[in-house]
Amino acid sequence: MKKKIIWLLIGVCLITGCGNYREINDLAIVTSIAIDKTDDGKYELTYLIANSPKSQTSNKEGEATTTIYSGKGKTLNEATNIIDRKTPKSLYYGHINVVVISEDIAKDGFLKIADWLLRNPETRKQFYLLQAKDIHAKTILKIVEPLESFPSQSIASLIESNATFESLTSNIKYSPFIERILSKGFDPILPAVTIIGSEKKGSTEKNLEKTEPDTYLKLNDVAIFIKDKFVGYVGEKDSQAISVLNDSISEFKFTFKYHDHDVVYISNNIDTKVKIKDFNHISIKVKGAGYLSEVNGKIDIDKTDVVKKMEKKLEQKAEKDFKATLKKMQNEYHADVFGFGNKLYGLYPKKWDKIKDQWNNEYFPKLNVDIQTDFQIVSSGALNRTIGEVKK
Amino acid sequence: MAKVKLIIENVKKLYGQSSDLQTRIIEVHGKNVGVLFMESSSSSDNVSDFVVKSIDYVAKNTNKLSDVYQHLKNNIFNSQLTTITDFKDFPYYLSSGFTIVIVDGSSEAIALETRATLDRGVTESTSEPILRGPKDSFTESNAKNLGLIRKRIKDHNLWFDEVKVGARTQSKVNIAYIKDIADQNCVTAIKEVLKKIDIDGILDGGNLREYLLKKKSVFPQILSTERPDLACQSLLNGKIVILVENSPFVLILPNVFIDFIHTSEDQYQKPFNISFTRILKVIALIITLFTPAIYIAITTFDQTVVPDELLISLAVQREGVPFPTFFEVILLMAIFEILRESDVRSPANMGASMSIVGALILGQAAVDAGIVSPIAVIVIAITSICSLIFTDVDFMNGIRTWRFIFIVSATFFGLIGIIATGLMLVLKLASLDSFGVPFLAPFSPLINSSQKDAVIRYPLPRVFKRPMYLQNQDKTKQGGGR
Repeated sequence: MKKKIIWLLIGVCLITGCGNYREINDLAIVTSIAIDKTDDGKYELTYLIANSPKSQTSNKEGEATTTIYSGKGKTLNEATNIIDRKTPKSLYYGHINVVVISEDIAKDGFLKIADWLLRNPETRKQFYLLQAKDIHAKTILKIVEPLESFPSQSIASLIESNATFESLTSNIKYSPFIERILSKGFDPILPAVTIIGSEKKGSTEKNLEKTEPDTYLKLNDVAIFIKDKFVGYVGEKDSQAISVLNDSISEFKFTFKYHDHDVVYISNNIDTKVKIKDFNHISIKVKGAGYLSEVNGKIDIDKTDVVKKMEKKLEQKAEKDFKATLKKMQNEYHADVFGFGNKLYGLYPKKWDKIKDQWNNEYFPKLNVDIQTDFQIVSSGALNRTIGEVKK
Repeated sequence: MAKVKLIIENVKKLYGQSSDLQTRIIEVHGKNVGVLFMESSSSSDNVSDFVVKSIDYVAKNTNKLSDVYQHLKNNIFNSQLTTITDFKDFPYYLSSGFTIVIVDGSSEAIALETRATLDRGVTESTSEPILRGPKDSFTESNAKNLGLIRKRIKDHNLWFDEVKVGARTQSKVNIAYIKDIADQNCVTAIKEVLKKIDIDGILDGGNLREYLLKKKSVFPQILSTERPDLACQSLLNGKIVILVENSPFVLILPNVFIDFIHTSEDQYQKPFNISFTRILKVIALIITLFTPAIYIAITTFDQTVVPDELLISLAVQREGVPFPTFFEVILLMAIFEILRESDVRSPANMGASMSIVGALILGQAAVDAGIVSPIAVIVIAITSICSLIFTDVDFMNGIRTWRFIFIVSATFFGLIGIIATGLMLVLKLASLDSFGVPFLAPFSPLINSSQKDAVIRYPLPRVFKRPMYLQNQDKTKQGGGR
């Protein structure tokens, strides 16, 4: 009897396995998706398929090239069906890396198209979401990058390196992005991508052969959203300030002037604390310790009082920049990308419920925010003094 | 009593006038003395030097009237002398290489040991080579095998219990154990089983295994080895060693799963390094069991678990391969197994040409022809290399069987199938026992004190106890024990 039960349990375990047997070489592996909107209001889907062998005759070299298929349709599914009919293999969505949406889609409201990708059980929900700036989203997928083997990977690694080392764009993935849209008082941002150079030259393999590629992808702006609707772009400086104030950054690089000399400061342990004083008053403290990465000019950086003065200058400059970004958000875009509303909701849920509809337009712009910065220069890098000083 | 000539006639009839039966009649003081021996299993030199000469000596140095039989018995130059009272025992002694001396009018016969050396002598172990440690191995000679153990363990408590198995072969089976360590119930049980065996003959310990174990499994529950040092280690741990006449392989039992990962060499090398080797072996075991199945599962069902770039690389490599992944893997595995089998069976001087053909077919040519994908070759290569790490042939074949079961379940059910089959494997192994010792001990049941020589080996001074899963009488190696 016991034996029978064990066999039954094993049988049950076995039966639950999904019966979707498919050979790996019968799959068209979709690694990137671009979603555009055509003039007649249809969706245009573009798939980047990664595993097409280089040529029909010599397929043993194991090198993959990419192919692009697009289709138009009233719904995303309709567009997919058209692509499906074009490809000889069955489409496989398990390894989507990057999804690029166009400005039109973003303006229209992202939630309209969000459902399709979330509902598909095959997709991982951890792909990067990007917005194409000034160009069609489709164009982004076409660009061949010299340093990566296939385009979707190049976009993904571009975002990763930018977010970790340059602190310019936030690497927001798909499901956190949707979470932020749905959360209370926390407007999302998306990295914006564009191309430098001509689209035609960039989409051929010749782009790979040149030492200086004709065309490359550029990632520096950030698209600001209110809820799921796109409202505008901000540049590098603002993007960095947003990341610092959000405490979503690992490396902070900052240039300031000291006695007409440019000084670059890098901190690897930025810590931002947001304190809510009352419903209309928030104070932010940014703390960090770092080193000097570049000093262009003669400064006595081995003297403590000079360093103290430099720290002061740095703090003032940073404060000013942060405030400028904050003002821009409050007055120009009305987008609460810092999540102040979310924090207020946590403390005053009832009060928040009453004003939640007026938050972006009335309460957020009037919010009184203090910013205090405290940066320390703990090291001057590999040089103790500046070069000008040594010479003397 | 019977006449010598009559007895000789009877023996000749018994052997059907076989050509190797030699007889001689010598007259001593008027009485006929018969000498019978098998030319094949006895050494003629020994017979002439120690038997015929002795009889001659007795004839010259005794009085006419004395009792010839008694004189012979007392004066023959031989260390092994047995008296036979029953004619039925004649064939056993003759075939074993004894010389039988019969005297007219005597009711007894004398059997003298004059065995020829028909074994190859103590040589180096070929099936279980080691780098460091004693290099000798068991041979086909029963006395030598016992000697190889006896000279290592000088304790008088090392006992050999002999049972004769096989109606025709009359093979000597010796159960070796250290009396005050080993579990006596186990010894008795083994003896019971051996005595009950009803078969015309056994030629190797492998024949006995099927009688000793009740539960069916593809994994061997009895270790067989040709290394005397391993046998002695086992004896000192309280295990029982069964030696079969004419077989260089001895059986060690009771045995647990982890013993197949150990080697005798483990005890002679640095504990830390051996622990590392053993961990590697465990990893190799896992690799060799699961790799082909996982390859099938992730390429046909669960592509989602593969990292992006690897998936694309796999997909492109599979491009143009006409067979399904399952068939591809089975094909390569079959080719490898055939190669392995033919390599074992073929004479040594053909091995080189075979390995060239094998490497070419398995490697480059099959990939170039587009029959298999390069990744499948890599998978099978890793699997095969990892399986060769285990010295016990039966264990290796057991792994092979389960690997095949895993492949089939992965083909139909993907990763879930592998997990379910893995569960079945663990259940099966846990249900096995060998003479009351759970096969998965000391892990299931978990015995903490025996972990010191399971996967991790502690330095010898810190291993106080013999394996606790054995029902030993003397549980400690140090202190109280001898």
